[in-house]
Amino acid sequence: MSNTDLDKIEVNQKPVAKRSNPFANVFDELVSFCRSRSMFMLHYCTGCGAIELPPAMTSRFDMERLGIQPMVTPRQADILLITGYVSIKTLKRVILTYEQMGAPKYVIGICSCTVNGGMYWQSYATAKKLDEYVPVDLYIAGCMPRPEAVMEGLQQLMEKIKTDEANSWKQYYANYDYYLGNQQHLFGNNWQTPTDIIGEAKTYKLEGPNTLGEHTKILESVQRPLEPLEMKL
Amino acid sequence: MSAAHSQNLNVLLQEIEGIHLTHHNPRRLRADIAAEALPALLALLRGRASYVHLSAISCVDWIEENQFELVYHLWSYETSVLISAHIRIPRDPGIYLSVFDIYTPAAFFERDIHEMFGLYFEGSPDMSKFILTEWNGPPPMRKDFNSEKWVMETFSWQEYHPDWLKDLEKQGGGVVSTPESIRMKEH
Repeated sequence: MSNTDLDKIEVNQKPVAKRSNPFANVFDELVSFCRSRSMFMLHYCTGCGAIELPPAMTSRFDMERLGIQPMVTPRQADILLITGYVSIKTLKRVILTYEQMGAPKYVIGICSCTVNGGMYWQSYATAKKLDEYVPVDLYIAGCMPRPEAVMEGLQQLMEKIKTDEANSWKQYYANYDYYLGNQQHLFGNNWQTPTDIIGEAKTYKLEGPNTLGEHTKILESVQRPLEPLEMKL
Repeated sequence: MSAAHSQNLNVLLQEIEGIHLTHHNPRRLRADIAAEALPALLALLRGRASYVHLSAISCVDWIEENQFELVYHLWSYETSVLISAHIRIPRDPGIYLSVFDIYTPAAFFERDIHEMFGLYFEGSPDMSKFILTEWNGPPPMRKDFNSEKWVMETFSWQEYHPDWLKDLEKQGGGVVSTPESIRMKEH
């Protein structure tokens, strides 16, 4: 079975319509500008692409002059940078990490492996298209891309954020059924995450026509409520 | 030392019935033996020679002969000689004895082989999943598991047809071998 039969409805691709109040407009632009200039990056270093990050982060190329800094926890991070092949086991963790991040959140896939499996295209253990499972804002192709390419990609992302085009995180809410369907296809129908995406979508009014569907029904039927972890001293 | 030592080792190894020795070079020795004789050989090498290190167990799937080959790599720190003990067992039912009682590290190798080839080792302490904890398919290193086919059935591919390529194609150029033609060669 292939996943191509699932239709993804593109939403919010265009910049959000401006508000009528000019002061609110200025404020929105200021917020977008500030947001694009101060990003915390969580680098999920799955593969060899991670080796290009130390020079990009440190004095040679100095990511910090763009306002981008590494961050240690997903809850405080804005960018999820996935550098390299994503095995099926890793993909589960990537999704858990992604869902923990606070919106607005952006995903960058670095290296050919995140685009199409790269040199692991024949591997039974490696997921091929990252954007089937989590929405990706930007791909940086290459095996591996040089730090210059990484910097260029980050600058493109900044530009997209400044113009309100980087809305993939909204697509995750609006098309949750599609992403969940792909995840279930790979992990089985018992797959569930601790994050209540449907609830979040309702709370933040980010529901789309594709938020609920057949796959979320499967999720609801198998979902177990979260239990507190047992504590022992 | 090595000449005298290999002499002694040869004498020692002749105690194992039906052993066939091949000297690749002074520090590599290949021993082909019957599957039943392997525990005796390992006990002898560990107990009476200096081969204290089982550095790996490898498995080869000879699907045409319907056999699995197991190779036990034994290393001696004293003489710096590597002995590879080769045995063949039938592919079906694919059950063999664990050598955990002779070499404790065997537990890991056997667990790995069990996961990758589906071979069962009797007496191994833990035959549960090791690395592929979230894999429910057939043992992926078996020759009859077609990884490419599985990939084709499970995943879909990114479409990439940018404008610059379209321009090239208009001029009669383009990609010579497309990813699709490479991927679907066998199916």
